[in-house]
Formats: sequence, C-alpha cells, structure tokens
Amino acid sequence: MELNNKKIEIFCGTGGVGKTTLATSRAIHLAKIGRKVLLITIDPAKRLKQILNLSDDDSGEVQEVPCDVFEKELGEFKGSLHALLMSPSHTLKRMGEKSNSIKDLDNPILKILTRPHGGMNEIMATIEVQSRISEGEFDVIILDTPPGKHFMDFLNASQKINQFFDKTFVEIFKYLGKSIASGIEKEKSIFGKLVSSGVKKLLSYLEKVTGAEFVDVFVDAVAALYKNRESFLAALTFQEKLRQQNFSNWFLVTSVEQHKIGEAKELKDEAIEFMHSDNFLAINKCLAPYIDNWEESNPDGQILRNSMLERENELKSFAKTNFKTILEFPEVLGPSPLEHVIMLAKNWEKTL
Amino acid sequence: MALTKTLKEQGIKAEYNSFDVSPRFETLTALGIPHFELFLEQSMKEYMGRKLKSEMVAGWIMKTPFFSSLFNMLPALSQMILLGHIIDKLNADPSLHIVIDAPASGHCLTLFQSTHNFKDMFKDGLLVEDINKMHAFLHTPGNLEIWITTLPSRMAIQEGAELGEKLSSMNIDNIKFLANGNLSQVPYIKNKDAELPEFLRQKVTMEDEALSDISDLTDSKIGVLPYFTDIKFENIVNSANKYLQGDFKWS
Repeated sequence: MELNNKKIEIFCGTGGVGKTTLATSRAIHLAKIGRKVLLITIDPAKRLKQILNLSDDDSGEVQEVPCDVFEKELGEFKGSLHALLMSPSHTLKRMGEKSNSIKDLDNPILKILTRPHGGMNEIMATIEVQSRISEGEFDVIILDTPPGKHFMDFLNASQKINQFFDKTFVEIFKYLGKSIASGIEKEKSIFGKLVSSGVKKLLSYLEKVTGAEFVDVFVDAVAALYKNRESFLAALTFQEKLRQQNFSNWFLVTSVEQHKIGEAKELKDEAIEFMHSDNFLAINKCLAPYIDNWEESNPDGQILRNSMLERENELKSFAKTNFKTILEFPEVLGPSPLEHVIMLAKNWEKTL
Repeated sequence: MALTKTLKEQGIKAEYNSFDVSPRFETLTALGIPHFELFLEQSMKEYMGRKLKSEMVAGWIMKTPFFSSLFNMLPALSQMILLGHIIDKLNADPSLHIVIDAPASGHCLTLFQSTHNFKDMFKDGLLVEDINKMHAFLHTPGNLEIWITTLPSRMAIQEGAELGEKLSSMNIDNIKFLANGNLSQVPYIKNKDAELPEFLRQKVTMEDEALSDISDLTDSKIGVLPYFTDIKFENIVNSANKYLQGDFKWS
C-alpha cells in the first residue's frame, strides 16, 4: 500500500496512545525520503519537546531539527525536518504584525487568554496552521493534535470563529462608538435603536457578573480581534480543505496497551463529519509479533499471554469493522524516546 | 471508577464525574458506581440564574449570540463554571466525595489555571467572589487530593512529573503519583523462577527502571497498580477496586 502525497497529515486519538511519538516518526520518515516537513504539536502537554529535545523556550518559533542523530540509524536524509511547539501568544503576535495592530492586541485579557494554558490553544492553532500553509514553505505539515474531546474543539474551531465574527459584537461596538474593521453593514435606524436597548441591558448584566473594569477591557480585546478578523476567517479555509481527499491524510491512533476501543470509536464517530475516506487506524504498541513466538506451559503465564493477545485481538476486530485501512506498529522495546521514533520510522518505511 | 467503587464500599458517600466528556454510562451502571453528569449549557444557566437572581433573565442571556460565542471562544470559562458547580455540590453536602476523571495533562493544567486566569481578568464583580471561594476551597487542607495517573513507562512518568511540578507551582500540594498497569506485580512475573520470553523480560526491566526513577522526579507519595489480566473493562475496574481495598499502599 502507498500513501499519497498530501499537504497535511493529522494524528489524533485519546490520551497516552502514542500520537506524538507516531506523528514524529512519520515526520522523520517523510524527511528521510526527501520532503521538507513541518511537525506542529497542538497538544498543550507538548510531549514533542521530550522527544526532540526541545525546551519551553523554543515554543512558538519554528525550530530546525538536526537529522544527523537519525541518520546514524536510518541512513541519509534527502529532506528536512522542522518542529513547532504551538504557542498562542506567538501566533497572536504574528497576527498583530501582519495587520499592524500590535498595540491593540497588547490587551490584558488577550495576554491572559493566550498564556500556555489560557484555553485558546485550539482556536489559535487553526490560525497558525493556515498561516503556515499559505506561506507554502513546507511540502507537508504534520499535526499532533490534543487528546479526545479537545481534538473535537480543534475541529470545531472554525464554527466558533464564524459565530464570533458574525454581527454579535458589531452592535456592541456601535453602541459604544468603537471603531473596528470595515465591511460591517449599517443598521437601520429603528432596528438600531431596538438593538441598542438590548445591548445596554446585556452589558449591564455582564458588568454585574464580571465587573465594570472587565467589560471595558473585554470590549477592547474583542475590537482588537475584530481588526484581525481576516486572519481568523482565513483559518476557515483550512478547515474546509480538511474535508478534501487530495489535501489531507487522517491517522486515528489507538493503543493495545489500554482499553481504548470505546474512545477510538467515539472519536471516529464525532470526527467523521470532517474526515474523508483517506483515514487510517494506527494501532500502536502491538504485542502480537512477540506473543506469536511465545510458547507457554505455566498456567499463570498462559493467563498473561491470553490476556495480552485477547485485548489486542478485540481491538483489531473492532478496527476491521470500522476502518478501511489499518496500520500496525509493534511495541518498541527501548527506553529512550529517540529509540522509539527511530524504530517507528523504520516501520513507516516497511508499511507504506 | 475503581476508586469511587472502593470509597462506596468503604461506606463513604462518593460520586464519579468525568468532567467535560461523556461518561461510560453502561459501565458505571453495570458496576453500581454512583455518578453524575454536568451539562454545560444547563450549568451555565443555573449559575447565571443564581448570580442574577432570575432564571428567566439567565435564560435570555444564554440564548443571545453574544454570550454563546463568548463561551465558545473561552472554553476555559466554561470549565471553570463546571468546577464551580462541583464545588457548590460539595459545599451543599459535606459528607460527599467527588472523584473527578480529569482531562489529560495539558488540559488538566488549563482547568486549574482557569481560576487564576479569570481572577486576573475579573477585578471585581460577582464572578471574582466565586473565584475567591473556589480558591479557598481548593486550598483548604483536606478538600483536594490529586492522583497523577500514568503508565509505568519513562516518557509517561516524566510527563506526569512535569504535571506535578506545574500543579505545585499553582500551590496545589496534595499530589500523589499512581503508576498503573505494572507487569512486575502479575503473579507469573512475581514468581522469579519463571523463565520469561525475551520481549517480556525487556518490558518488565524497562518498567522497573522507570518506576525506580519516580522518586528522583517527585517528592509525592507513590503507588503502583498491577497489570490486571482481565479482558473486559468492567472486570479490570473490579480488580482494581479489590486491589485498592487490599494490597495497595502508598510509599
């Protein structure tokens, strides 16, 4: 089987199944065969820094990953590998530079929300990815996504952005006399008055709950985001493209180590709206290649053997009925992250 | 799930909550584990209703595109309100223990960071009063205990240790470290006479080495749960429950 060249490859799955390790090994494999690869981790856990020996200080900027350490084991690299640890504050800064609105974005609320664990990771990630695609510097971008439900937050980001940039806040800006980007229709006068009275009421409730100072700073924050609405709305293009078969490959990662069948199925059912038929179930940490050669006469040993084998078979039979293509990756019996990604990169060579 | 069952069987009033993801209802019901689910929209409506002293006004506000898009763009705000709901439930019934099956490490930090972030944002207003109450609750000795649960592998343990450090930096101190699924404690492997196949020997050695590193990475108490050989998920929960009530100890 051969995988087609795509601009984007997405690795998703529940927590602890080895998404980051597998995504990194795929990036290494593609760099080896000649592609210019950018690996982006959106997961705030940032396991990628452990694997590629990056530090928190590297967050937000594309880092070149030296391939000599992999070349010793895998042979010559014809392409290159870069990595980016997602940092919402860096993405916001880049947006501000582009739209000449750095001053507006220097807002206390935006600063808090774009902290590493401020909660805007998934939304800012879609903007960052689209921006990297538009720049066209890389042949392929590999995304290591957040686990479980937060992956859906990432996929739903475009809907949230869309909703945010409808007329919701425009009425508030008009009421407060704030200046924002062009392209906003003028309200009719009678309707405008009605809207204004509703806005007044809404703001008074918001003030009561959050305090007056917040409302002022918040409205400024939203106005600053509105000035960057083009960057936000450009991210919608990325999400539309995800649905195109010639644009992306999807890898749903699961592991035989844990009871993850239910979660994998749930994730697939939810993500199916965004996925196309080029999706793969990657079963990580398979023990079957080892267990097949394990002959056991000790009853306790047989119990353990059967337990490991049955769990794996249960997962594989689920896989057969739910996925068109299944990729199996054996458990890597080495302690270091480097050994793991190298062994898995070799496996990509064999598999695809 | 196993911990909730253990607490229940020890006569403690306990309920399981899977926070912002759908719980496994069938398993919880089959195992007789008390649980509750929080529905974000309803939680928010109730919360706003209490704050504004009017369910009707709260209903109107929540329906406005302004508020719904605000909560969409600020998922941490919704998480904080869910956490507030859980604390309200505990305050209403001091005998209740809630076991939260929390989000994975990065998003768990987002959850605990949310109270700090929003306190920095809202200088005054009704929400700040609540955030202060949440802080007071979370930092009152005996109210909160965190079990960082990880697989017994080096990478997972290191990630868990980092999570512990970051939680400690938020002054969350009562943290324990639980390694789950350790092969060394399976009877067949415990029996040192057994001749293990090579892959298993390597796996066990790697796990043992990783586990021996935990004490260098954290000052927290450490517990280890064995690999349970059951096949069905329900049976694994039952075995873990029995183990927690039997041989389990913190070191």
